Amino acid sequence: MTNTEALKELIYKMADDQLILGHRNSEWTGFGPLLEEDIAFSSMAQDKVGQSYALYQILNDLGEGDPDTVAFMRNADQFHNSQLVELPNGEYDFSLVRHFLFDTAEAIRFQMLTNCSHEPLAQLANKIKGELRYHTMHADIWIKQLGRATEESVSKLQDSLDRLIPYAIGVFEPSPMEDQIIEDKIFEGEGKLRQQWEEAILVVKSKTPLNLPYFSLVKPV
Amino acid sequence: MESLDPRVNRLNLSTTELTSKAPLDQLGTYEVFSQLKEDKPYFHVGPVHAPNCEMAFLFAKEQFSRRQTCTGLFVVETRNIKVSVFTEGEDTVYNYISNPGELANGNTESFELFHLKKRGKQHEYIGTIEASSAEVALSMVKSEFINDKPVYNIWIIKTSDIESSQDEDKIIWDTLPDKKFRDAIAYKAADKIKEFKERQ
Amino acid sequence: MYGGGNTFEHIKSNGLENEDPEKLAQFEARIERGEKIEPNDWMPQLYRKQLIRMIEQHAHSEIIGALPEGTWITRAPGFKRKLALMAKVQDEVGHAQLLYSAAETLGKSREQMIDDLINGKSKYSNIFNYPAFTWADSCFISWLVDAGAIVNQLANARGSYGPYCRALDRICAEESFHLKYGHHCVIHMATGTEKQREMMQAAINRWWPPMMHFFGPSDKISVHSEILMRWKVKMGSNDDMRNQFLDMYVPKIWELGFTIPDENLRKNEVTGRWEYTEPDWEEFKRVINGDGPCNKERLAVRRTAEERGRWVREALLAPKTEYVAPLA
Ligand SMILES: [Fe+2]
Ligand SMILES: [Fe+2]
Ligand SMILES: [Fe+2]
Repeated sequence: MTNTEALKELIYKMADDQLILGHRNSEWTGFGPLLEEDIAFSSMAQDKVGQSYALYQILNDLGEGDPDTVAFMRNADQFHNSQLVELPNGEYDFSLVRHFLFDTAEAIRFQMLTNCSHEPLAQLANKIKGELRYHTMHADIWIKQLGRATEESVSKLQDSLDRLIPYAIGVFEPSPMEDQIIEDKIFEGEGKLRQQWEEAILVVKSKTPLNLPYFSLVKPV
Repeated sequence: MESLDPRVNRLNLSTTELTSKAPLDQLGTYEVFSQLKEDKPYFHVGPVHAPNCEMAFLFAKEQFSRRQTCTGLFVVETRNIKVSVFTEGEDTVYNYISNPGELANGNTESFELFHLKKRGKQHEYIGTIEASSAEVALSMVKSEFINDKPVYNIWIIKTSDIESSQDEDKIIWDTLPDKKFRDAIAYKAADKIKEFKERQ
Repeated sequence: MYGGGNTFEHIKSNGLENEDPEKLAQFEARIERGEKIEPNDWMPQLYRKQLIRMIEQHAHSEIIGALPEGTWITRAPGFKRKLALMAKVQDEVGHAQLLYSAAETLGKSREQMIDDLINGKSKYSNIFNYPAFTWADSCFISWLVDAGAIVNQLANARGSYGPYCRALDRICAEESFHLKYGHHCVIHMATGTEKQREMMQAAINRWWPPMMHFFGPSDKISVHSEILMRWKVKMGSNDDMRNQFLDMYVPKIWELGFTIPDENLRKNEVTGRWEYTEPDWEEFKRVINGDGPCNKERLAVRRTAEERGRWVREALLAPKTEYVAPLA
């Protein structure tokens, strides 16, 4: 028997993160640095909003309100999102680095959730594997490209990484019901996710001259 | 200036006078080919600009396969496509291609072959040929792939110049059928209009 | 999106006396037979020049056209509308990509075209210089401005230049989603609360004059070019396009109980043509020459996007690739 409150807490956090980042990323539609990238980034923003919609539907089936009401009628203090996703867009390096840090975590999170004890969540995780594959493919290729191109692009990425890493680690803030979540086999936990995320980030980073801080010394935001 | 679009207000619009944006920063050109279903041929769908094959693929995926179905996609740099002459009417392009002379039995490579069967339509994948050069490949096509229907133009691409989707990446198109919000059929409203008129 | 308000250059001399008469005859015969011209085919200079101009303006209209509706992306009501609007605006950017590519096959690079857009040298559809005050404005654009664009685009898809026609085939397929989505939005407003109906009516009142301008100056005062019609570059007169639009959509607006702010608007059953108050062509000229409510903002946004994207494109410039015109 899964603890529904713990499950809901986790889904809220995920859905709110995706909803808000989807909105932020959609701000680039029509303003992108080149047409083809404008289109690609917009698709991924749509995926994010679409995935959050699916998560709110799962919440709805668990007794929460209608997805539109829950997503768009709550007050700011009722959201469970991380601060990373709400930061204003800034320049493209900022959005791209945030996309890289967040989506790398998200892809691993949903990979873990394919084993979730709550069947609808496991099904969703399986279904959107391909979307997330494209997102991480996109992020990795861009970071590799800009992270070793010109002096300007390398230093811009470095600045954004320095600024965003503490926020990115903030995404892994354990739920108040973390033990329950792990015990009920809903999810293997933020700690384990963070560990795998750090490894994945390092793999991409190693193809560039970019620097990362010692993750263990970073104070999460 | 204050915009009605909150996104624009966060952009910090530049307010200087209009100027040209020289220097020109035009990226390279790639042609994109896609396959809608496993048993269907690849078709040319259009170009993208990108710095390399990898990014061209990334861009092509969303520009040319974000609807319906897709089972494969590849890109090739435009300048690496060998183009034959164009013909029209009953005149097939193969009338202008000489028969293979001595086929050197040396090193061969594989080439992908595309036909334009109707002017105004797209080039379509026909087959793969092992040959020592694009020119030899072209001359070999005649005997292997030709039928009575005229062909108006041929493209030949060295297989190794192609960046193609890998089998394990095909899942990137998995959820396309679920993206109903991108299709006209999701917006039926005849009932609502009827109901509205009846209420009047 | 795209209006027939194309500013074709006034053709002083068509330069045909400098063209090879035999090649010209073959070229015209091919068009006459209904076959497409492809980039490698011989074509008169005038054909190339006017096509570049037209396709380029069309492309600019798509990328600028993404802005008025983009105004509502972050605030579209509910998941379904939000996803649809994001996808719709994205399509418009995609249309720009397709159209720039088609124009590039004629020998002008995308960068040169974008440069001409942001330095004010080339035009785009006038209607996008008007603001989208409310959600209802965005509904009007999605349904009716796109409907107008479709009238033009379907006509142009029967034109003579292969790459442009192929781009338009893809575009028209996507436009049918825009049209249905837009209509769905307007129906929802029409059948909603009193407030929603009022909002929608207000949007119709605001957008009607620019909508009439959309198809370009009336045939009485616009530059005709018999040769562009013969070469299937321009596929119908401005008044014909406007009439087609009115015929298809006025009844659909009326059926939802809305009014159109023109008391002279009616179909003449004898001629089969629509009659209306002559649009204010002075206003049209003023706006197209830069003095509309949003011209400055639209161009500033595009220019800012280009400026802010500069370092990205610079970082992508790779010595191993080279720009060439697309093949088809
Ligand atoms: Fe449009
Ligand atoms: Fe469009
Ligand atoms: Fe459209």
